[in-house]
Amino acid sequence: MSEATSCMPDPELRARLRAARVAIIGCGGLGSNVAAMLLRSGVRTLTLIDFDTVAEDNLNRQMFFRDQIGRLKTEALAETLLRIDPGADLRLVTSRISSADLIDTVRDADVIAEAVDTAETKAMIIDLCTRDLPEVPLVTVSGLAGYASANRIATERLADNLYVVGDLESDIRDGLSLLASRVMVASAHQAHAIIRILLECEDDKDE
Amino acid sequence: MHVDVALFASLSTFQPDGAGGRHARAFELDAGTTIAQVIETLALPDQPRVVFVNSRHAAEDSELHEGDRLAIFPPVAGG
Repeated sequence: MSEATSCMPDPELRARLRAARVAIIGCGGLGSNVAAMLLRSGVRTLTLIDFDTVAEDNLNRQMFFRDQIGRLKTEALAETLLRIDPGADLRLVTSRISSADLIDTVRDADVIAEAVDTAETKAMIIDLCTRDLPEVPLVTVSGLAGYASANRIATERLADNLYVVGDLESDIRDGLSLLASRVMVASAHQAHAIIRILLECEDDKDE
Repeated sequence: MHVDVALFASLSTFQPDGAGGRHARAFELDAGTTIAQVIETLALPDQPRVVFVNSRHAAEDSELHEGDRLAIFPPVAGG
């Protein structure tokens, strides 16, 4: 974002976001939307990690378009993000993240966003990142599916470097669907938590 | 020794009082008790989970100490 289009009028805060590096693990419903919101907010250096391709049933909630079906999510998302900000510095990692390569892939980030879909992979990411990168904040999401009130989705700090977004309970394995509105609420919480961390906002009771 | 144990989300119903809720309960444990032994005693289901002691990462085979606060969190699917 240029100075004219930035949402952040304070030059010091704008510079802080501009210098930040965020790694986004998963470019689906959460990750694709988080990436766009971070970029619109002035974060310009993103690592986008995903192995998958765009499918038609992604279009109901993910930041992709019909003419991108079949393309790698990392490349399709990068194309869209560069339409928002041609100056964005995007590093694409097109592979399925594993316990063997996770830490080396995200080590340079100032904040890590967990945006994958399975509980097993979420647990692996939380476990390894909080163990091996204890000084790097990790923002994870747990509980965003279904039709329950979006007001149940919140952001809280569960451990020193672990922030959790969600209602903690709504699980797609219980047959709950992923509704664009609730996914977007969770994505916005996740992006906002990352911005607040980068701006070094103090925790408050709302968290 | 005295240890506080907090179980989040679906795990909260496994607290010995059965009352649910995420607030920590006080446990009296033998010295040298490991996190894995607490998990076994509580009969927590075999599902993905992450474990913290005093807000820092902890391995399940590590021993607890007087005054520790153990928190166990089960992430759920969706993203």
